[in-house]
Amino acid sequence: MRFRVLSLIAALAAVPASGATPALNRQFQQTVRPFVTKYCIGCHSGSTPAAQFDLKSYTTLSMVTHDFSRWMLVMDKLTAREMPPKPVLPPPAQESRRVIDWIQALRTEQVEASAGDPGQVLARRLSNAEYNYTIRDLTGQDMELTREFPVDPANPAGFDNSGESLTMSPALLNKYLQAAREVADHMVLMPEGIDFAPYPMRADSDREKYSIQRIIDFYHRQPTDFADYFQAAWRFRYRAALGKPHATLAAVATESKVSPKYLPLVWQILHDPNAVGPVLKLQKMWQELPTSRADQPNILRAKCVEMRNFVEKIRAHTAMQFAAPKVRGLPPASQPLLHWKNQMFALHRRDSDPNDLRNDTDPPPVVPAIPNYARLHQEAAPRWAAISAKARAGDTDLIVPAAQRARYQAAFARFAFVFPDAFYVTERGRFFPDDSEDKGRLLSAGYHSVMGFFRDDTPLMQLILDEKDQKEIDRLWNEFDFIADFTARTWEQYFFNESGEVQGKGAESGTPRPTDHALTDEAVIVQLRDAYIAKAKSDPDNDPVAPEAIRVHFDGINATLRALEKERSEAEPKHLEALLRFAARAYRRPLTSSEREDLLSYYHALRTKNQLSHEDAMRTSIVSILMSPDFLYRTDVSGGAITSSAPHRRRVTVQTAAYRSQPLSSYELASRLSYFLWSSMPDDELLKHAAAGDLQRPDVLLAQARRMLKDPRVRGFATEFGGNWLDFRHFETNNTVDRQRFPSFNDQLREAMFQEPIRFIQDLVNNDRSVLELVYGNYTFVNPVLAQHYGMPPVQGDANTWGRVDDARRYGRGGLLPMAVFLTQNSPGLRTSPVKRGHWVVQKVLGEIVPPPPPVVPELPSDESKTDLPVRELLARHRDNPVCSACHSHFDSFGLAFEGYGPVGGARTKDLAGRPVDVSVSYPGGAQGLGIEGLRNFIREYRQKEFVDNLCHKLVAYALDRSLQLSDDSLIKRMETRLLAKDYHFNSLVETIVTSPQFLNRRIPDVDERTVSLARKGE
Amino acid sequence: MSGSTKNSAPRISRRTVLRGAGCTVALPWLESLQALADTPAPSAFPKRFGVMFLGCGINEDYWSAEGQGAAMKLSKTLEPLEPLKEKINVIDGLYVKALTNQGIHPGQTGSLLSGAHISKGAIIHSGISVDQMIASHVGNDTPQASIVLACDLPMTGYHETNFSMAYSSHISWQTPDSPVPVELYPSLAWDNLFDNRGSLLDISILDRVQERVQDLTRKVSSSDKTKLDEYLTSVRDVEKRVEGMRKGKAQAEDAAKAKNTIAATMERPANGLPADLRDHARLMCDIIALAFQTNKTNVASLIISRDLSAMYYPFLDVKEGHHAASHNNNSDGYERISRFHVSQFAYLASKLDNMKEGDGTVLDHTCLMFLSNMWIGRKHDNFRLPLVLAGGLGGTLETGRTLNYLNASEDNRKMCSLYLSLMDRFGLKLEQFGDSATRLENL
Repeated sequence: MRFRVLSLIAALAAVPASGATPALNRQFQQTVRPFVTKYCIGCHSGSTPAAQFDLKSYTTLSMVTHDFSRWMLVMDKLTAREMPPKPVLPPPAQESRRVIDWIQALRTEQVEASAGDPGQVLARRLSNAEYNYTIRDLTGQDMELTREFPVDPANPAGFDNSGESLTMSPALLNKYLQAAREVADHMVLMPEGIDFAPYPMRADSDREKYSIQRIIDFYHRQPTDFADYFQAAWRFRYRAALGKPHATLAAVATESKVSPKYLPLVWQILHDPNAVGPVLKLQKMWQELPTSRADQPNILRAKCVEMRNFVEKIRAHTAMQFAAPKVRGLPPASQPLLHWKNQMFALHRRDSDPNDLRNDTDPPPVVPAIPNYARLHQEAAPRWAAISAKARAGDTDLIVPAAQRARYQAAFARFAFVFPDAFYVTERGRFFPDDSEDKGRLLSAGYHSVMGFFRDDTPLMQLILDEKDQKEIDRLWNEFDFIADFTARTWEQYFFNESGEVQGKGAESGTPRPTDHALTDEAVIVQLRDAYIAKAKSDPDNDPVAPEAIRVHFDGINATLRALEKERSEAEPKHLEALLRFAARAYRRPLTSSEREDLLSYYHALRTKNQLSHEDAMRTSIVSILMSPDFLYRTDVSGGAITSSAPHRRRVTVQTAAYRSQPLSSYELASRLSYFLWSSMPDDELLKHAAAGDLQRPDVLLAQARRMLKDPRVRGFATEFGGNWLDFRHFETNNTVDRQRFPSFNDQLREAMFQEPIRFIQDLVNNDRSVLELVYGNYTFVNPVLAQHYGMPPVQGDANTWGRVDDARRYGRGGLLPMAVFLTQNSPGLRTSPVKRGHWVVQKVLGEIVPPPPPVVPELPSDESKTDLPVRELLARHRDNPVCSACHSHFDSFGLAFEGYGPVGGARTKDLAGRPVDVSVSYPGGAQGLGIEGLRNFIREYRQKEFVDNLCHKLVAYALDRSLQLSDDSLIKRMETRLLAKDYHFNSLVETIVTSPQFLNRRIPDVDERTVSLARKGE
Repeated sequence: MSGSTKNSAPRISRRTVLRGAGCTVALPWLESLQALADTPAPSAFPKRFGVMFLGCGINEDYWSAEGQGAAMKLSKTLEPLEPLKEKINVIDGLYVKALTNQGIHPGQTGSLLSGAHISKGAIIHSGISVDQMIASHVGNDTPQASIVLACDLPMTGYHETNFSMAYSSHISWQTPDSPVPVELYPSLAWDNLFDNRGSLLDISILDRVQERVQDLTRKVSSSDKTKLDEYLTSVRDVEKRVEGMRKGKAQAEDAAKAKNTIAATMERPANGLPADLRDHARLMCDIIALAFQTNKTNVASLIISRDLSAMYYPFLDVKEGHHAASHNNNSDGYERISRFHVSQFAYLASKLDNMKEGDGTVLDHTCLMFLSNMWIGRKHDNFRLPLVLAGGLGGTLETGRTLNYLNASEDNRKMCSLYLSLMDRFGLKLEQFGDSATRLENL
């Protein structure tokens, strides 16, 4: 027995019955209604009609056409001879035949009447999911703002992306407003435009954290491990033996992921002809590296690490050290003096201190006593000098022949010139009172209490970075100040908390607020500078460099502040341009000139009328953009107002018997495509094609679709289409599992279960696999938690580590059917539910329409450990009742195939009461099967067509953002034909859909002449 | 908006705060509108909570109170509170355990109002402070959930203990990761509260949306029109409530004016920072008083001098800055500094007490809290904190008492127990807050 299931044609309300021929009408009154009265309305009428289907209520033909999908079901049930059910006597075959033929004829007529109708796609707001993905792609930050939004209702096809179901309310509008503000809070003004941070930029500390992290990340990306360079040099040395005789040093560097700029310097010193001292010793180590034939990469690496350790030791022992210039009456930690000291360190990282070398004629060095930590505001250098001297004392590599001192000193200098004591410094403390407490002060200048940052990366700039990277790190530091305003804020803090020192008021004292100046005015800075210089010059014992150090410090602050001022004012127009670009991307189309003007005048009104700062006006403008219907709604209406210079295809209005349609504009099409395949906004490439006006060309359209199908953003499709089709979209918040009884079920496992089908579908789409893999696939995807749940070999890594498992059937998995998410979701807590599991298979996977249960159904016990009989036998009893059996016989058997899986989807051989489970199944029609494998075989043999058919229907409904109608029939047939021809590969489905008239056009529903004329005007 | 928190959804991290260079603005409080527009004026007067902070402790030789009610004897530093004796509680012996034994200053301050453990190094982490807990609980009743003010410039560097100076500069934390930015400028604090900036911006945004929807509606089919009408209706609905709210506030202000002339005469403070701390502190107190009286907000915090403050007090004849002076905290100079702060507290309390509200005064419906992060500055001793409460919190808090917990058991000396007791009175009943799961005995 086969089912005819053409069930998903749900909404025919829009199809008028005007075309129905009088003959069909006559037959309805003379043949169909009497048949129904005789055989059907005994059950299907009254106050509680069976299956909630009142057949008595259809008194006119138009009532039938308006609810045609249910009459298709009548046809199916009559054809399958399932209705009327036993014990009612079946009607004579001839009578049934006439009704079946009549429904068929009506259907044919309806299809013709609606041919070419793209269907009505209502203006619709973004669904919550689309909103999230769109904000993510618009800002580059995944903010998940809709977590507190009301849940979107689904349309009859089960999707939440259609205008029929997506409504708006004041409560939701408030949520939108709140979310828009949150997005605006993430905005960061940059010198060249705007950006969005991963978290809101509220407090100063947020701005610092954001800017600092970008710099630290850049530093950590750089290849600065000497061992890597020695290893790369080794590869160059043995390039011929390694099969690359013509490789250049630069090519080897690139291949080894080290700097092509720096590797030659390293190579050079490894072959320095005048080698003595550390250079010679390093060369010896170099010569002793294993040859290319030695197939021992670990030994090579270990030797290179030894070389690195040697270099680092030498450099640590010969690094230059500095103290702050001495000025009587100023503490060494005084900012201008400390800043000078920091600069000295930064500028001499490629120098070797000759005083650290010892002649072989010298007596052994005296190990100095280590002084206590410097007190607050005191110089820490002596302590560090002593610690270094102690570390150096036993280092024989620093002993040089007295007679050749100059030669050795030069070698040390060359060595230091290639090997800096540090490439960059990311943390700086104050070495007080306990330097173990100085950790984590990223990019800090090491000031006391007052904030301050210091850039110390000269060797990295000089030795490692190419021009592009040099520019990038310069830019990051500049943006740090632009975003976090740290120079100005350090100045203010210093002014109020430390600058009193110059007047002898003590190290932690400030200067009174200047009355007639802003604190950051040049005059204020100069006045303080001169006071410090005067102080530095007032005592002949002061370090003579002090006045210069002070001048450099204050002038540097002034120059930075002035440059930032200039940069800020120059950036404002750029920000406005960025705002307009943001609006265009948010609206997914170019702005009209009046929209541009309008947005700019709004910004200016905020500045002048509302007295907002530039930044606040920018934020408020962003809120306003995100509240616009052009962002929140997908209207498929350009309003005929786009005046892009790009050529637009002429819109041709197609008029069939009942409908007129019109091609979507390029931008509308771009959005339709991206919301279909990504649940998100079009990317730049798609918009570029929209602008060029060539997106409607089938070759371009298909190329774009194929590109998009390979994109990771297909995750959005896998989640939204897959999640709603298979009904697991809200599993992330599922709370029906008794966690006391199933302690392994925790939030991590729940999330992993939720992710599994998404990963599976995404992989299938990204790689254009056969859609049959969804059912028959012998693989799945697991993370460590899920692998454990499934009893698979352990997966190493965190919850985000997902791997493909082949031959998954060994573990009872493979494809969608035995995924834990479905098995768990369709179990009512403490027992399995073959009813729910089976119902899920036939309804969701195979697309069969199962009538709703009657109002009074006997409940099965809630805990299978407390029942006398296994669940399968309880169900068998239930089916003894023919009224129940009419439906349950359709799906119970499918569910019984899963009895080998417990209530949270784990494999089992016994139920919760300890009884062995029986997975033998007798399917409708009599076929037999064992467990999940039997189910797969049954589907392959008897139900594959239904599965494919259902998938096509669901996909079309999802793609078109509406319920299906009869005019979609031919599209679905084309999809199925092509799918077969393409060996079931998924892409062919998408390709057929996106090139269909339904997808490319929109209906002009009520012949609104104004709309047409406006659209024409816009061309 | 620096220095204030807007009303917001339950998740506090959603609270939106805008910061502008040199200029700050309040963002709106729309989500609260429904509550306000739809409910009649409450018959009971709202309860308010205010905190005032002094950094680095007091002069312990002159800080004591004995006896009850009119017979209460106040020491020299507490003398400014003399006229308010029957409306205050002087509490001794409480402390925050998480802030002890981990290094001085920022490590003694970073969670004063939450009792949380705080993190060293680059990533700051504390806890949501009691004022912000109350603000998010009652904040929907007012245009702004709270105002967070300071007279002292915040710092963000590192102390030698490797705690961020952010811990020293803030007492109000809206999330464990972010302090509420303080508002330093009286003029901007005033604008945020009384200029209705947030609602003005909302109306401007909603107006634009309406125009655009109407514009679109002219161009779409009738069925699309239905969908857009749905949107338009929602926009109008929200806008109506915003406007209703503005009107309601105008009426409330008029009513306040009629009741009390002091508040009504406050003019917008001049731009810029006042040069004299006395003016600065007074303006901030005036703003808090007016905000409470006109129901602009029910929660406020004010840092007069932060921890490690470098503030100068030439008008008190003290040469050293605040922190330096605190290292000699039993000097007469530091006593004068402490007393100056207490007098600001007394000024605010008296001001609220002069504002009639029902049968009582605004102070009677308020709890003001004065505290410092230390007891003895020269020893950085914070096993005992100076603490004064003022106001009866709508009859729920008995006043005119001196309460001493110094010899109480460890479990009954917790600031967090006090916070739990106070939150209870705001209808925010928590099982646990900071290090405490019990209410303060005898409060």
